[in-house]
Amino acid sequence: MKNIAKNIGFALIAATIIASCNPLELDDIQDPNNPSVGSIAKNASPEQIQFLITGLESRHRGYVTNISQAWNTFGREIWYLNASDPRFQTDWLGQNGRVPDRSYFGFGNTGGGSWATPYQAIKQADVLKLAADNTDNITAAQKSAVVGFSKTIQGYQYMIPANFVYNNGIRMDVTNPLKPGPFVPYEEALNQINTILDEGFQALGASGSGNFPFKLTSGFNGFNTITGLQQVNRAIAARLNAYRKDWQGVLTALEGSFMNLNGNLNAGPAHPYGAAPDIFNPLYYVPNAAVNTMIVVHPSVLDDATPGDLRVQNKFLKRTNPVTVTTDAGALVGTHQDARWVSNSSPITYIRNEELILLKAEAHANLNQGTAAVAAINIIRNAAGIGPYTGATTTAALIDEILYQRRYSLWAEPWGHRWIDARRYDRLADIPTSYDKGTIFTQFPHPQAELSWDDYIGN
Amino acid sequence: MINKPLLTLILLFCTIGISWAQYSIKGTVSDERTGEPLIGASILIKGTTSGAVTDLDGNYTLEINNSGNVELVVSSIGYLKKTIPVNPNQSVVNIQLNEDATNLEEVVVTGLVSSVKRSNLANAVTTVSARDLTGTTTIQTTDGALYGKVAGATIRSNGGAPGGGISIQLRGISSLQSASQPLIIVDGVYINNASQRTGRATVSGAGASSQDDGANRLADINPADIETIEVLKGPSAAAIYGTRANAGVIIITTKRGAEGRTTVSLSQDVGFAKPLRLLGVDDWSEEKINFFFPESRRPIELERFRAAQSTGTFIDYEDFFYNNTALLLNTRINVSGGSEKTKFFVSGNITDEDGTVKNTGFERYSIRANIDHKITDKIKLGISSNYIRSNTDRGFTGNQNNTGASIGYSISYVPNYYDLRRNDDGTYPINPYFSENPVSVTDNAVNNSQVNRFIQAFTLDFDILKTQNSYLKATVAGGLDYLQNSTQIYLPEFLQFQRSQANPGDLFIGRQESFNTNFQAALVYNWNLGTVNMNSQAGLVRLDFDNNSLFNRGRGLVPGQRNLKQANIQEINEQFNSKIQEAGIFLQQEANWEDKIVGTVGVRWDKSTLNGDPNEFYAFPRASVAFNIANFDFWNSGVISQLKPRIAYGETAGPVPFGATFTPLGGTNIGGLLGSTVSTTIGNTLIQPETASELEFGVDAGFFNNRISLEATYYIKNTQNNLQNLNLAPSTGVNTTLSNEAELQNKGLELGLSGTVVEKSNFRWFSRILYWQNTIEMTRLGVPTYISGGFGSGLGTFLYAEGYSPTTIVGTPADPSIPGGFTIWGDAQPDFNLSFSNSFSIYKGLEFSFLVDWRNGGSNVNLSSFLADGGGTTNGWFDDDNGDGIPNGRQRNPEPYNNAGRWVQDASFVKIREIGLYYTLPKTTLSEWFGTTVQNIRVGTSVNNAFLFTDYDGYDPETSSFGAQSVGNNVDIAPYPTSRRIFFHVTIDF
Repeated sequence: MKNIAKNIGFALIAATIIASCNPLELDDIQDPNNPSVGSIAKNASPEQIQFLITGLESRHRGYVTNISQAWNTFGREIWYLNASDPRFQTDWLGQNGRVPDRSYFGFGNTGGGSWATPYQAIKQADVLKLAADNTDNITAAQKSAVVGFSKTIQGYQYMIPANFVYNNGIRMDVTNPLKPGPFVPYEEALNQINTILDEGFQALGASGSGNFPFKLTSGFNGFNTITGLQQVNRAIAARLNAYRKDWQGVLTALEGSFMNLNGNLNAGPAHPYGAAPDIFNPLYYVPNAAVNTMIVVHPSVLDDATPGDLRVQNKFLKRTNPVTVTTDAGALVGTHQDARWVSNSSPITYIRNEELILLKAEAHANLNQGTAAVAAINIIRNAAGIGPYTGATTTAALIDEILYQRRYSLWAEPWGHRWIDARRYDRLADIPTSYDKGTIFTQFPHPQAELSWDDYIGN
Repeated sequence: MINKPLLTLILLFCTIGISWAQYSIKGTVSDERTGEPLIGASILIKGTTSGAVTDLDGNYTLEINNSGNVELVVSSIGYLKKTIPVNPNQSVVNIQLNEDATNLEEVVVTGLVSSVKRSNLANAVTTVSARDLTGTTTIQTTDGALYGKVAGATIRSNGGAPGGGISIQLRGISSLQSASQPLIIVDGVYINNASQRTGRATVSGAGASSQDDGANRLADINPADIETIEVLKGPSAAAIYGTRANAGVIIITTKRGAEGRTTVSLSQDVGFAKPLRLLGVDDWSEEKINFFFPESRRPIELERFRAAQSTGTFIDYEDFFYNNTALLLNTRINVSGGSEKTKFFVSGNITDEDGTVKNTGFERYSIRANIDHKITDKIKLGISSNYIRSNTDRGFTGNQNNTGASIGYSISYVPNYYDLRRNDDGTYPINPYFSENPVSVTDNAVNNSQVNRFIQAFTLDFDILKTQNSYLKATVAGGLDYLQNSTQIYLPEFLQFQRSQANPGDLFIGRQESFNTNFQAALVYNWNLGTVNMNSQAGLVRLDFDNNSLFNRGRGLVPGQRNLKQANIQEINEQFNSKIQEAGIFLQQEANWEDKIVGTVGVRWDKSTLNGDPNEFYAFPRASVAFNIANFDFWNSGVISQLKPRIAYGETAGPVPFGATFTPLGGTNIGGLLGSTVSTTIGNTLIQPETASELEFGVDAGFFNNRISLEATYYIKNTQNNLQNLNLAPSTGVNTTLSNEAELQNKGLELGLSGTVVEKSNFRWFSRILYWQNTIEMTRLGVPTYISGGFGSGLGTFLYAEGYSPTTIVGTPADPSIPGGFTIWGDAQPDFNLSFSNSFSIYKGLEFSFLVDWRNGGSNVNLSSFLADGGGTTNGWFDDDNGDGIPNGRQRNPEPYNNAGRWVQDASFVKIREIGLYYTLPKTTLSEWFGTTVQNIRVGTSVNNAFLFTDYDGYDPETSSFGAQSVGNNVDIAPYPTSRRIFFHVTIDF
C-alpha cells in the first residue's frame, strides 16, 4: 500500500506540474509579420496615412510590366521575345489563330497586371480615403488633399481595365469586396472616370495651396505641390477626354495641365525605380546582353521609320547579335532593343509633355483647327529632327500624321498607346501581322474570376 | 516504448516465482526451419507470471512452482506464439518456433498510449519493418524506402537530386490546398517534414518556392535507425491524432537496446549510381537547320554544323551532364545492449552519396542514443536523442525563367553540333541558343543546404497500481524537434546570364529555424469485466510549432565572394515568422473479449490557434470492431486459421494554414519611402479546419496455419469543409479569401496477399502482393468551377469541378461541354498500383529478394517534352511519322495538333525497385576464423531502381517539379534524372 501511495504521490506531482503551465491554454496569437488592415480603420495616425499614400504610389506602378510587355505587343510596337516560355510569342501574338480567352496566358483568371493590379491600386486609394476620413489626427485640408490625390490616381488606374476589355465594360463600383457593382459600358465608364478625376481636381483645390501635405516619391518631383498634382490630374483628364472624343474637353484639360509647348517633352510624373528594397526598372535590359528574353523593337516600327528620326536613333539600339526565339509557330528575330533607360533605376514617366502636345494636335485636328494642329505637330517633328509637316491639313490626313507621330513619340510607353489608338480610330487592321503571322486582338473578355464571382453569388 | 503493457510487467515479476519451484525443466528454443537457436525468446507458464528468457545459445531453464501439468507459452519476436504442455516427468523440452510470416503477433500502435496485436487489429495498418525498409538495399531517405511497400500510398519525387524531395499521399488526397502529406511522428515527436525553401526558384526565375526542389526534411532521419514504421492511412485509424491526421499518420519507431550482451555492429555500403533512364537527343542535318532556323540565322548555323562535322564533335548533352557515375558510401555503427535496469542503443551513421550530376551530393551525419532505464520498479524512463547534420548540394535542374539556371531547360535548346564545354583558358563559350551556358553553371554555381537538427524524445511511465487482473499506469511523454537550415544559392558574376545583368552575380542566403515541441500525459487503466479485457485511456496533448525564416539576397558581387556584404545590391528577400499552438484531450476505451471480439471507441477534442476561433474544440470520434471468427470455439477449419471481418470509423482534420485569419497590410518600398499596401487576400475569421471521416471495412484471413494471409480493405473517405481559396471579383482589389466550401470523396480498395510459398529447411520463399486503387470525386465544390495548377490551359492544368476529380488534367482546345470549358486529357490518379515482393532464403545464410512495382494509368504533364520540342532537340524531332512534310516536333498528336493534349502523357510503368542478394557466414566458419570475437558477418549486393519499363517520354514517370502539393504535383519539367543505384554491403557484428 505504501508503494501505491507513493505512486499516487508521483502522479499528483506530475499532475501539478501539468496544471501549473496548463497545456490546454493557448495564447492569443497576432500576425507576427504585418500590421492589420483593421489598425488603420479608425483614428489612423499621420504616419499611417503616410504609409498608405506611399503604398498607393507602389500600387500605382503595378501595371507597368504587364502592360508594357503585353499591350505593346498587341499593338506591334514591340515583341516581347522570351525563349523560356514560347507563349509570350504564340499566345500574345495570336499565332495559329489563338484569341484571348478568360484566363489567357499572361493574365490568368484575374486578368493579372491588366485588370487585378490596377484595381488593387483603386482599392488602396479607397482604403486610404477611408482611413483619412475616419481619423481626427489630420486636418480637413490634409484630408481633402488625400482625397484629391487618391481620386487622381484612381482616374488613371480605371482607364487600364477599361481599355483592356473595351466594349465589354468594367465595374466602377468596387468599394465592397463582397458586393461589386455591375459592369458598365466603356463610354459610361469613361464618363464616370471623368467625374472621379474632376472630383479629385476639386478636392485638391479645396486643400489649399503650397506643398502636398504628405511625402511623395521623387516620381512626383516638380509635381508635389497642390498645383502640380492638379496639373497631373488635368493631364490624365486630357488623355481620358481624347478617349471620350470630347475634343474641347481635351483642350480645356490641357490648359490646366503641365503642358508646355516650349518645354522639355519628357517632363511629367514618373514611377520611380531603384535597387532593393525598391524594385528595378522592369523595362531595362543591359545593352547587347547575351540573353534571349528581351523586349525588342517590332520590325514594322523600324521599316516605317522616317530617315533621320532622332526618336529612332535615341530609343532603339541595334544589337550586335540579334535575339532569336523559335517556337512551334516559327522563329522571330529581334534586331533592336530598347535604349530609353540609362540604368535599371531609371524612372518611367507615365504621362509626358510630348503626349500632351500630341493630344493638343489631335484635339485641334478633330475640331477642324488645322493650323493649330500643325503647329503642335511641328513641335514634335522638329524635336525629332524630321522637319515641319508638309502634308494635307484635312482632318483625316492630320489624324494619319498624328497617329504616325504617336507611334514614335510614345513608342512602347507603359500604356499600349498604339493598340488603343488604332482601336479608337478603327484601324486595328492597319497593324501589320505579316511579320509574325499573328492576330490583332480587339479586346479581352472579362477575366474568369469576375464571372466566377457573379456565378458564386448567383447573378 | 510507449507501450508494452502486460509483457513488461510479467517479465518484471518472473524472478519472484522462483522460490516456490517444485520441478524444473530446461531446453533450447530454435527456429523450426533452420534449426538456428533463438536468443531472447520468452517462455511463460500459462496463467502465471513465471517464466524465463533464452540465453545467447537459445537455452533456458525454468522452475515450475507446482507439481502438476502446466502449459508453456513460448514467444519470440518475429515468430508465431506456441503453447506447449509439460508434465513433471519431463526435464528437457526443446521447442521449435515457426516464423511469423504474416506478422500476426506484431504489436501495432493504435492510439497515443495503446497498441494492439495485429491479429486483433480492426484497421488496415501497414507496418514496415526494418527488414522491409532497408533489408534489401540502402535508400537515402526513409520515405524513398517506402515505395511499393505501403498499399494505398502514392509516392512521388521531385527528381533524382540527392537528398530527398519526396511526397507521400495516402488514400488519395484529403486536401485541395495543403500538401496532403501525412503527419510524421518519430518516437513520439511531431517532426518537421516541410519541403523548405532554398531560393533556387527565385534566383533561377522559376517562381514560387514550390519549384525550389527543396528536400523534405524527413531526409534527415537515418533509415537504418528505424525499427518499424506504422502507417495509419486514414481517419478511421488515425482519429486519435486529431487535427493533423487528415492525410494519415506515419509513426516511426527507432531501434532500442535489449537486455544482454553488448553488440557492436559495423556496416559499410559502397555503391555507385548511374541514371536510370536517358532519352537521347536529336541529330541535326543541313535540311533540319534550314527548316528550324530563320533565314538570317541559317548561315552561321550551317557553318557551325559543318565545323562540327569536319571534326566529328557532336555532343550529346544529356549524356554529358547526366550520365556520370556517382560514388555512394554509407558507414553505420551500432552499439546496443544493456542490463535488466538500463538498456541502450547508440548509433552513428555517415552517408556520403554523390549525385550523377557533377558537384551534387548528399551527406548526412547522424548520431543517436536511445536509452531505457528503470528508475525504480515502478518508474521507467525512456529517452531518444538524435543529432543530425545534413549537407545537400542539389544542383540546377527543373524550371527556370530566362536565367538559364537549369541544365535540362538550357540543353533543350542547344543543338548537338555546338560545343559548350569549357575552353582551355578556363572560360566558357557563350551559349547562343539560350541565356546561359549550363556547363559553367554546373561547374561553378552553388545550391547548398546545411541542416543542423536535434530531435529529443522522452517517455516516463509510472506504474501506479497493480492487482491480480488490473493495472493503472500514467505516461508522460514528449519531445522536441529543433531544425536549423542554412541555404545558399550562388550564381557567380562571370556566368553568361549574370554578365547580361546590371548587377552580375547573385547570392541568396537563407536561414530557417523551426522548433516543435509536443507533450502528452495520459492515464491507462487495464481491467477485466468478466471475460472482457478493458483498456481505458484518457489524456491530453499539447503541440507548439515555431518557425522563423530569413532570406537575404545580394546581387552585383565582388568576384569570387559569397558574403552578402560583398554585394552591390543587398536585399532582404523574405522574413517570415509563425507561431502555432494546439491542445487536445482524448479518451479511448478498448474492449477485448478473449481475442474473439475486439472493439474500440474513442474521441479526441482539439483546438488550435490556426482556427478562426482558437478556443473552439473540435471533436474527432472513432469506433471500430474486429471479430476473430477463428478464435471462437465453433470454428474448426484446417484451412482457414484466421478469419477476421473488421469495420472502423473515424474522423480527423487538416489544419488551417497559418495566417488565414489575418488581413494584413504589406510592407513595400518605393523611391526611398516605406509604404503599406492592402493585402489582396482577406482573412477569414470564421475559418475552420478541414475535416475527414472515413469508413473502412475489410477482412483479414489466414490460411494453412497462417502461412498465407490475405488482407482486404475497402474505404470511403469523405472530407468536408475543405480549405480552398474563394476567388473574389478581382475588380474589388482583393483576389481571395480562404473558404470551407468543398467536399471530396476518396474511395479505394487495398488488397494484400502474403505468405510462405515454400518452406523447407534449405529453401524458403516468402512472397507478398499488394494491390491498391483509389478514386477521387469532388462531391461539392461550393465555389464556381475553376482550373488551377501547372502552367495554364495551354500546357495542361487541373479541373476543380463538382463530379470530377481535382486531379483531372484539362487543357486546350476549348470544349464547352466540359465544366471549365477545356478538353479533358487525363488524370493524375493511377488506375491501380500493384507491388510484388519476394524473398528467398537459400541453404544456410543466402538470401535473395526483389521488389517489383507496377503502376497502371495516371498521367503526367510532361513539359520536358514541351521544352525539347521547342528547341528541336527531342529525339526524333525531325522525323515525320505521318509523312505530311511537317516534322513530328512541330506536330504532336493528338489531332488537332499542338494543343495541351500533346503534353499529357500516360505515366504507367513497371519498376524493378529493389534487388538484394546477401550471404551470412556460417557460425562455425566465424568461430574458426575469429574465435568468439565476431558474432556475425553478412555480405551482399543490391540494386535500387534496377529497371524501368514505361512508354512515358521522361526520365521517370514518378517525378514532379512541384514537390509536395496535393494537386498538380505530376508536372515534369526538366527534372534531375532518377538514378539506378548499385551497392556492395558488409556488416560485421562483434
